[in-house]
Amino acid sequence: MRIVSCFFLFLSLTLSSSLFANRGLEIALLSDKNNEGYGDSSSSMTMELISKKGDVVARELRFKRLEVPEDGDKSIAVFESPRDVKGVAILSYAHKQEADDQWLYLPALKRVKRIASKNKSGPFLGSEFSFEDFSFQEVEKYEYEYVKEENYLGKDCFVIKRIPLDPYSGYTKQLVWIDKENYLVQKIHHFDRKAFHLKTQTFDEYKKYLGFFWQPHKIEMKNHQNGKSSILKFTEVSFKKGLTDKDFSQNSLKRSR
Amino acid sequence: MQSSAKYLSLFLISFFILPIKAEFIGEISLDNRHFFNDGALGQDNNHSSVSFSPEIFENLEDDRIFHFKAKLRDDNKDTERNLVDIQELYFIEIGESKEIKYGISKEFWGVTETSHRVDVINQTDTTESFDGEDKLGQPMIKVSLERNWGNIDLYALLGFRERTYSGDKGRLRLPVLIDTDSPIYESSAKNKRTDFAIRWSHYFDEFEVALSHFSGTSREPRLMPSTKKLNHLTPYYEKINQTGLEALYLIGGLALKLEAIRRSGQGDTFSAATAGFEYTQVGIADSRIDLGWILEANHDDRLSSSPFVVGTRLSFNDSYDSQILSGMFINEKTEEIGMLIEASRRIASCCMISLEAMYFDDTNEDNGAIKLFEPFREDDFMRIEFIYYFGE
Repeated sequence: MRIVSCFFLFLSLTLSSSLFANRGLEIALLSDKNNEGYGDSSSSMTMELISKKGDVVARELRFKRLEVPEDGDKSIAVFESPRDVKGVAILSYAHKQEADDQWLYLPALKRVKRIASKNKSGPFLGSEFSFEDFSFQEVEKYEYEYVKEENYLGKDCFVIKRIPLDPYSGYTKQLVWIDKENYLVQKIHHFDRKAFHLKTQTFDEYKKYLGFFWQPHKIEMKNHQNGKSSILKFTEVSFKKGLTDKDFSQNSLKRSR
Repeated sequence: MQSSAKYLSLFLISFFILPIKAEFIGEISLDNRHFFNDGALGQDNNHSSVSFSPEIFENLEDDRIFHFKAKLRDDNKDTERNLVDIQELYFIEIGESKEIKYGISKEFWGVTETSHRVDVINQTDTTESFDGEDKLGQPMIKVSLERNWGNIDLYALLGFRERTYSGDKGRLRLPVLIDTDSPIYESSAKNKRTDFAIRWSHYFDEFEVALSHFSGTSREPRLMPSTKKLNHLTPYYEKINQTGLEALYLIGGLALKLEAIRRSGQGDTFSAATAGFEYTQVGIADSRIDLGWILEANHDDRLSSSPFVVGTRLSFNDSYDSQILSGMFINEKTEEIGMLIEASRRIASCCMISLEAMYFDDTNEDNGAIKLFEPFREDDFMRIEFIYYFGE
């Protein structure tokens, strides 16, 4: 009898610990549900680069995205300003498991160049965002762990830890704050290769589209090492404009501006 | 200058009659080249030029695009470097997995960085710069098809553009002048011939491949002694057939590249190839600076030597997009070295500035080989360029 109860105790312990370990993933999956069903989206955005002294320079870009069921999404980012990069565009096919496929279009040479998506830890357009922060964060590309519950700016949040599986990632771990009400990402702490808390990313001004799809309109990235920050502001967002694969081909990349 | 001014006013007038919806932008560039020595043929040391490139871009409807871009250049020393060229003047009709482009345009083919062997659609403007990346607009009809097995581009190239060459007073020129006024064509249609090209391109995960064929008048002429002018060479534009292969393979952050061609119609059939790699070290020494490396080797059946190029690119990833490029051209057989360094950065959101220096090694003794840089031995230079962008 005693042995049996010991056995049950052991079983419940292992079960709860494995449940405990999967709870992070569970929350991540629920949060990822928010990225489903939007079909396609088109947005215009401004990116402000703010120096340590508070000087601001702005960049503008347009972004189109297509949901691809069973695989990662397709996207095109087109730079509008500064003028010397106007018309430069990046086409990405994200994948759940393998590395993303990426092409860069250089309008001065009219050249489409395949680029190594592995070089993703570098800064995006001179900002505090890296290419990695801009790409789709497929659930499959991380390992998860539940950390705690915490109130963040008046919202009850889960805090989960995720560890990038890609050795080319610039991060060793990320702490993600996800609110309990809608499972929306509120904040991410990014830890660099030396496990130093390098950057804090916050997501604000969520608005609901299509009756269910939540889109943040302000994303800020603060770099704690150099004191600089970058703010991404969405000035125009629309969904389900009927974009298809043909809007995300190499030919469409060439005419994307 | 006068003739350019005339064209300029013509372009400006044309903008007023175009739809207001169109996006009207452009750039003005001022450029000064200072050569450290007098020209081997007595040319001046200081050359300045001004370029103006107005551009109009418009999405006419969801499935129709109009694009116009012109380039005007005026050089204070070399009249052969003056240019009035329509780079783009085309419409694109977009269909389901298909597009048709008609008008004047530029098309780039290729994967390598230091030479562009496969790229044959447009004529090269050799007077603009040394790298052969500056092209002239080509009238064409292009049909692009997107299929599961890759993209097919079909081209009818209507008419022919002659290559530009530096003139009498220009620098970086051959010791013998090129008589661009009386080129010779193999085709009886001369520069009115319609040429054809086809290109298939596809990718399989990390592997990109393209095969192309061009049949028409060679963009690269052979230079023949002139029968009309003493001490001149005449460009001879022959009919050629050229098959090209492009391949790129990504292994992690490393890109392996190959471009190869086989051309017939210009004397003996020959092959030429460029192969090499590109690799970027992201965030060197824990900074936000990226260091890119390029190594490319060349082979050409027509040359006895196989030069290679080593290049680096330092990207500072700052808000000014500061960059320093360097390249070293090494020809073991002829014991020659050429070096290029170019630094550029943005100044405010409207403007860019770049500084460039080029050095041709001329220290080596005569070793019997034909030196590729011999004509340029006095042409080491420094160049400063300022670009102002206008329009939103």
